[in-house]
Amino acid sequence: MTPSDITSGALTGDGNWFEDFAVGQRMRHFRSATVDEVENNYISKQVMNTAQGHWNEEALRGSHLGNGRLVFGLITGSMTVGLASQDTAENALAELGLDNVRFKKPVHHGDTITAYTEVLAIDESPDRDDAGIVRFKHWGRNQHGDVVCELERLVLIKRRRAWTLDGPTR
Amino acid sequence: MGDEIDFDAFPIARKGNQFQDFTPGNVFVHHWGRTVTDGDNALFSTAMCNWNPMHLNAEYARAHGHDDVVVNPMFVLCAVVGLSVEDLSEVGGPFLGMEDVTFHRPVHPGDTITASSTVVEARESDSRPHIGIVTWHTEAHNQRGELIVDYQRTNFVAKRREPKPAAAS
Repeated sequence: MTPSDITSGALTGDGNWFEDFAVGQRMRHFRSATVDEVENNYISKQVMNTAQGHWNEEALRGSHLGNGRLVFGLITGSMTVGLASQDTAENALAELGLDNVRFKKPVHHGDTITAYTEVLAIDESPDRDDAGIVRFKHWGRNQHGDVVCELERLVLIKRRRAWTLDGPTR
Repeated sequence: MGDEIDFDAFPIARKGNQFQDFTPGNVFVHHWGRTVTDGDNALFSTAMCNWNPMHLNAEYARAHGHDDVVVNPMFVLCAVVGLSVEDLSEVGGPFLGMEDVTFHRPVHPGDTITASSTVVEARESDSRPHIGIVTWHTEAHNQRGELIVDYQRTNFVAKRREPKPAAAS
């Protein structure tokens, strides 16, 4: 496989180039994931989050946040982004940023996150004409249907016409 | 066998800051720093269901102009927050949210991150007298001094109810 094959989509899906997104488009992502020992207990320590309520089963016992290990909010956020990533960033060049990140309810070990997305805006890139910027809103919901986190995310996504072999120029 | 040891009498080696420690303009240079490895990125990205080839296929990343895989920016963000937790939020209270998170440039395996934060605002909570709400602006740089990510973060932070204990020696 040549570098040109790789960049023109041989390894990635075909429904998620910049031209494929429309404002108002909504997606419920296909796979959900349960947060447990690896996702929260270990990764909280991997990223040096020293707050022991994330990895000490006794630390928050009896607290208003609920018993057991509390999932680090950004792990819930990262899982929500991860579950949405194939549909929203498989043909991305870069993650540009996040905004309005909110953690709405506590998440505990054993909870399962499902990700939902709406396209909020579509813009030209100020720097390059082979890609554009999509602003997504993501929601993470638990198995009871409660929204546990929400965030907006800006992604720089390749244009099909600039990168694929059937596009006019490269 | 010998005298009983009174473990409860051992002084605790406390960590963290509380509401009274945050005055707008105060700067905290966070501890430790972190060199990001290939393993960090691969473990984090796979555990978070983020199988994007820009993070997990080095040939794909090279074909897009990088020298190696691009470290998942959510890992970078988590690690920067992690480095700041002891100073800002370890004994405080729940993480409420973040604004204006900007990923300024990619991080690659082998890069080293350091972080610092400035207090932007510290205000009382109308409904909860023992808690305040603090906002910080955090910046993280790589080993070349280049800004890699910055953001504002807001937490509930508990107020100290007794005088600050002497630091553990």
